[in-house]
Amino acid sequence: MAASQASQVINTQDITDKSRRDLLLLLEAVRGKKNLVIEKSLASIIGLFVKFSTLQEYGVDKLFFLENHNVDSSQRNIVFLARGDNARVVRTVAEQIRLVRSESKIDHDFTVIWVPRRTLVSNLVLEEHGVLGEANITELDLQFVPLEPDVLSLELEDCFSDLILRKDPTPIFAAARSLMGLQKQYGLFPRILGKGDNAKKLSDLLLRMRSEEDVNASSDPSNTYLTSFGLTPSSTIENLIIIDREVDFPTALATQLTYEGLLDEVFSVSHNQTEVDSSILGSAPAPSTQPQNGTSPAPTTATKRKVQLDSSDKLYPEIRNVNFATIGPLLNRTAKRLQSDQQNIHAPNQSISDLKSFVSKLPSYQAEQASLKIHTSLAEEISKFTKAETFRRVLEVEQTLLIGSEGSTVHENIEELIARDTPLPTMLRLLCLESTLSNGIRLRELDNFKRQILQAYGYQHLLTLTSLQKMGLLVPREANRGYLNPIAGSAGMGATDWNFVRQRLQLWVDEVEDEAGKDKDIAYVFSGYAPLSVRLVQAILQKSYLQTLATAGGAAVAPAATGAGWKGYDDVLARIKGATVDVVQKGNDTDASHARKTLRGNKEGPKTTIVFFVGGVTFAEIAALRFVGKQLEEASGRNLVIGTTGLISGKRVADVAIEKGTFGS
Amino acid sequence: MSKPTADWEKVGDRFYRKTQLYTDVFDQDLELENHVIAGAPYSGAVALYRDEDKLHAYRGTQTAKPTIDIYSCAGKLIRSLNIDKGIVKALGWSEDETLLVITTDGTVRCYHNLQNDFTPFTLGHSAEEHGVRACRFWLSGFVALLNNNALIAVTRYDEPRPKLLATPPSGDVASWAIIPPAYTLSRSVEVLLATGKTIYVVDASECEDRMLENGPFKHIAVSPNGNFIALYTDDSRVWVISSDFQNRLSEYNSRVKTPPKDMQWCGNNAVVLAWEDEVHMVGPNGAASKYFYDSWVHLIADTDGIRIITNDVCEFLQKVPDASEETFRLGSTSPASVLLDAVDLLEKKSPKADDNIQLIRPNLDEAVDTCVKAAGQEYSIHWQKQLLKAASYGKSVLDLFNSDDFVDMCETLRVLNAVRFYEIGLPLSYEQYMRLTPERLIQRLVNRQEYLLALKVSDFLRLPLNKIYVHWARQKVRSANADEESICKDIVHRLDGKRGISFEEIARAAYDEGRSKLAIELLDNEPRAGKQVPLLLSVGEESLALDKAVESGDTDLVFYVLLHLKKKLTLANFFRTINSRPMATALVEASAAYGDRELLKDLYYQDDRRLDGSNLLLTEALKQSDSQHRNDKLKVAAKLLQDSREHTFQVKAIDETQRLFRIQEVFEKDLGESFVGLSVNETIYKLIKSGNIKRSQKVQSEFKVAEKTYWWIRLRALISRRDWRELEEMSKTRKSPIGWEPFFNEILGAGNAKLASLYIPKCTNLTVPERIEMWIKCGLITKGAEEALKAKDMSSLEMLKNKATGNAVHEIERMIAQLAPSRR
Repeated sequence: MAASQASQVINTQDITDKSRRDLLLLLEAVRGKKNLVIEKSLASIIGLFVKFSTLQEYGVDKLFFLENHNVDSSQRNIVFLARGDNARVVRTVAEQIRLVRSESKIDHDFTVIWVPRRTLVSNLVLEEHGVLGEANITELDLQFVPLEPDVLSLELEDCFSDLILRKDPTPIFAAARSLMGLQKQYGLFPRILGKGDNAKKLSDLLLRMRSEEDVNASSDPSNTYLTSFGLTPSSTIENLIIIDREVDFPTALATQLTYEGLLDEVFSVSHNQTEVDSSILGSAPAPSTQPQNGTSPAPTTATKRKVQLDSSDKLYPEIRNVNFATIGPLLNRTAKRLQSDQQNIHAPNQSISDLKSFVSKLPSYQAEQASLKIHTSLAEEISKFTKAETFRRVLEVEQTLLIGSEGSTVHENIEELIARDTPLPTMLRLLCLESTLSNGIRLRELDNFKRQILQAYGYQHLLTLTSLQKMGLLVPREANRGYLNPIAGSAGMGATDWNFVRQRLQLWVDEVEDEAGKDKDIAYVFSGYAPLSVRLVQAILQKSYLQTLATAGGAAVAPAATGAGWKGYDDVLARIKGATVDVVQKGNDTDASHARKTLRGNKEGPKTTIVFFVGGVTFAEIAALRFVGKQLEEASGRNLVIGTTGLISGKRVADVAIEKGTFGS
Repeated sequence: MSKPTADWEKVGDRFYRKTQLYTDVFDQDLELENHVIAGAPYSGAVALYRDEDKLHAYRGTQTAKPTIDIYSCAGKLIRSLNIDKGIVKALGWSEDETLLVITTDGTVRCYHNLQNDFTPFTLGHSAEEHGVRACRFWLSGFVALLNNNALIAVTRYDEPRPKLLATPPSGDVASWAIIPPAYTLSRSVEVLLATGKTIYVVDASECEDRMLENGPFKHIAVSPNGNFIALYTDDSRVWVISSDFQNRLSEYNSRVKTPPKDMQWCGNNAVVLAWEDEVHMVGPNGAASKYFYDSWVHLIADTDGIRIITNDVCEFLQKVPDASEETFRLGSTSPASVLLDAVDLLEKKSPKADDNIQLIRPNLDEAVDTCVKAAGQEYSIHWQKQLLKAASYGKSVLDLFNSDDFVDMCETLRVLNAVRFYEIGLPLSYEQYMRLTPERLIQRLVNRQEYLLALKVSDFLRLPLNKIYVHWARQKVRSANADEESICKDIVHRLDGKRGISFEEIARAAYDEGRSKLAIELLDNEPRAGKQVPLLLSVGEESLALDKAVESGDTDLVFYVLLHLKKKLTLANFFRTINSRPMATALVEASAAYGDRELLKDLYYQDDRRLDGSNLLLTEALKQSDSQHRNDKLKVAAKLLQDSREHTFQVKAIDETQRLFRIQEVFEKDLGESFVGLSVNETIYKLIKSGNIKRSQKVQSEFKVAEKTYWWIRLRALISRRDWRELEEMSKTRKSPIGWEPFFNEILGAGNAKLASLYIPKCTNLTVPERIEMWIKCGLITKGAEEALKAKDMSSLEMLKNKATGNAVHEIERMIAQLAPSRR
């Protein structure tokens, strides 16, 4: 897997270790036993790199969730762990400090650990509540959380709604800070490429931070003096490719068809974990890894079970990225292998040494068996879902839209699905998919759909529809928005010319398998549709492959695409909405950069590319990028690391917009 | 050239040397005996303050104002600080040359960087009440002894937190000292208090009696490495003991009746006693040496030696470093000494030089190293050169030798000689320089406004220059009288193209001087937007601050400015300010959505964003449980949009919402079931399910629900009701707007295969194989076969035959037979 290669360059284990160390140091600084009050969303992130038992070793007595407002005064030391850049959370912390102080009889020592940094606003809010002097304030600079060796995520849950709905650029700033952290460690990204307005903002911020870093570094007294010569281009990282989610909504909206993607669609995966009804899994032993805390009321209902989904599992890495259609045979093969292993042990004529080697393998064998059991039951549950008639209908509509054929049946199908009371998120996804793929829906048709949605799901969704419009996901087609309008075209593309892009970048591939039944193109993740975001990455890294694909597809032969960066694909980029970024970063001090290069002794050029998604990435895209990464590694030893603000899926996109309240409740 | 051993003196079996650093240090009029004196560590500046307790000659009115004067070691006045209030009780320095002045009432002033301005803090209430008696300092903190014997420790100056130590016993404190936290087991500062006959050790949590009986001790001194303690007993003896009070290491009888006025350590192995004009140095094992002076003597202890200051001279007393001793000691036959001799012979062009080299050939590398080290310890430039020459000569003979140490030493010596020059007055020893670090040496130079030398040294040592420039600019801003524009221009011009300049610091200096305009102009050159913001806010340039905050991309900053603005401006002005900045508006909206709805309403009203305003009312309506209020909210929401053309859909929808409520309320009354909260489709569904077909049709027509949709709802509702009779009834209808296939599927899904099969013949739009498939699903293979027979589909028949069981097999065979001849 590409992950193993990538980990050599960007050591994700280091990042995990550092986060753990930093947190424990902060906890250690508070002497004696303490109660830890933690923001819910942070708890599961923290759970990714530190176990609850470790926290206990560091004196944590009880764990509370900030949201529950139930901190007791059983310990003198109370430690809060919360996000400092969210005024709402800060206010909650301040209120709780006040509450505990007024209700408790003993003198408490409060410590607040802000993640990722102590902010001016947090100071201001604490001051307003009169608790600034009370608390000992520290910060935990938590940036990237490695979900996998090749996936770095900021795990910002609200990043999509912040960016797209509320236009709040906080996630961009957080991303810039984290990427800057990488640059400080590995050197400047020699080239920053990107597509989309937010990508532009992010790269601008990175450039600005670099110039600010010059000043910061030299005014920081604790700084080693080599860095005061400024950053030099990295010798290990080749490119940073920033993809703005806004550029490629359809991919986020479409139903993911990989195993992991479908797990996300059906059970929803967060922080490498999913919750499943235990009835589905049967009576397997519960290897629950989540820190169980006795204090929070009703931690999880007894019928739910948590399943860890990461590469520590024996089986999961092999099956996570495959198309769901092929999962059956794969599981079958594994089952057969395990069975033959089992038969081996029952064979009567075994020597002691055979037995010994088998016994040594026993634990891993058992783990594999357990995991096979889990995944078989999960796959079975998913296939129930995929076999439903509505699912097939939805998929049919989706694929018609993605192929780009103007079918009149699409609208009929959508109307029927609404009438059949298909879940609202699914319907919104379809409508948004149509709107984004054809730059809006004709006003009359749109109003018609809107009316049906309102009548079918309730008038409160007037708010939902407004939100979707604000997000640019469900909009009326306007005359001046189209790509045909020359005036709009000159003033930066407001909309993507999907027909052109589809053809030029081969966004639809009919045959995703070669003769041997192996996947041959990334399009397998959506059974035919190749995600635009990944195609853009390929346009940079796999120019010749795209070229052959285009000629095979019978498209007009494009000019020879060679060279670095976006070269050769300027025409496509011009027809995709949003700004295009292409920045080459050079060191201030050329001598120093040369010196560094010599010191590293790396004769070959840098080989790692970081693909960063602003606004979230889907599991399907990760699978596709891993596919690309594997090809790259085989061809030229290069590899990919994926960075993102968080994980996203069509369901989550729709959820952001959907109004949860109902009338009369 | 005098021998380097000229100022050496043997004390016991060790050599000590007293190097004269500077002469003519202080003005002869300055009465050193009447001054309190404190020297900064690492040969730093010396602060003098006239001792209030002593009599002094009346010198006219100008000296009536008490000042603290800061001199360099060479006696150059660097700065004079006015003390306008309070009686100074103690003076001390921190590692980074911050002067600390503590007055009786417990006020501490930190004078950073030898400047006039200071940051004050107080030791707290008890200090104010009882008064500070004395203080002892270490590199990064100090302990204050109050008149009631309470002890207060401060461990850092950037965020000082005075902490009360454990309470010591009352009684007269004869003398006291501290052991810095770095050298104690408890990692907290420990205080040694000589009270009565014994000594108490006090730390943060406890106070322990050490049970000594030879007190009262007139003086206590702790060695620089914290390992030894020197005590001066009442019977004029010096005891040196280990700091754990376990071993007595040496004893010395001074035979002087009057107790010394000071006792300090010289390095870690000798104790120096000072009377008015007499100095005793007590080495290990009680050996001692005496020095006599013409005038009053002050001692300033440093890490590796001690500075002795009189009006005339400033001297440095230290143990002769090992390398020097090895090289220069009379009669030394060490390789280094031979090498030094060889270079001397070489200069005299004597062939013996080579003999010398051959003599020490096996140890030559060691000799070179020693010479290089010894060079670093020399203050005389002649001997530095001589030693380096020797090293260079020896090195040239060696085949393989790493010259890094040699090169480093040459560089270091250049720097040391430059700063030792009397106009600079920093007589750093090599060891002190190593501990001080080059960066902090530069800082010291800058503090003395020796910018040129600082730049040269930085350049020479390849250190960043930006701080020097910034300091220069700040000084310029403070002192220059020219008009603001030209100052700014001058500064910007001079600093143009220099890396890493923090204009924010310069601007802050300007602001502190009250030159706001200059501050703004300077700020404009600051590359870090984030840094500009707080200062801009304090200058009162809010909208500029907002712009800069937006530019920085840091939402925290933007928020911070917005909170400020909201407090300061009227609502209208606030909106006007954020109006033109979409990011600011977005942030205000996002934050207000959770708390301040009124603000949001005002914002939307001000900006004429009707749709948002109306949506806000909608969300409020959602929260209302009372129907009357809800309708009111909805009415207002609709009214907001009524005038504009583009929102007709919205208005209509809100209107429909109200109508739906009305009709639902009627149903609730009639049927006694709850309807409010359901959507139109759900209402129809519920009505059909409860058998109120008429009412459902009314809803359909009222809300113009499409026929297809209605049929779907009806189908689903009937299925869930399991109303097979009605469904059977429906199969007799002639036409269905949604076709008949859904009926088949849904009914089959509900498990009624028999009824489902009724619909198969109606699905005329489907192909034959599809219909056959449907028959099979219902388990009616024979029917499927009939279908196939009609379509003359042989292969399907064969397939069906395989599926069939019992009687059906014969049926199908019969059909195949029937079909077969016709095909023939």
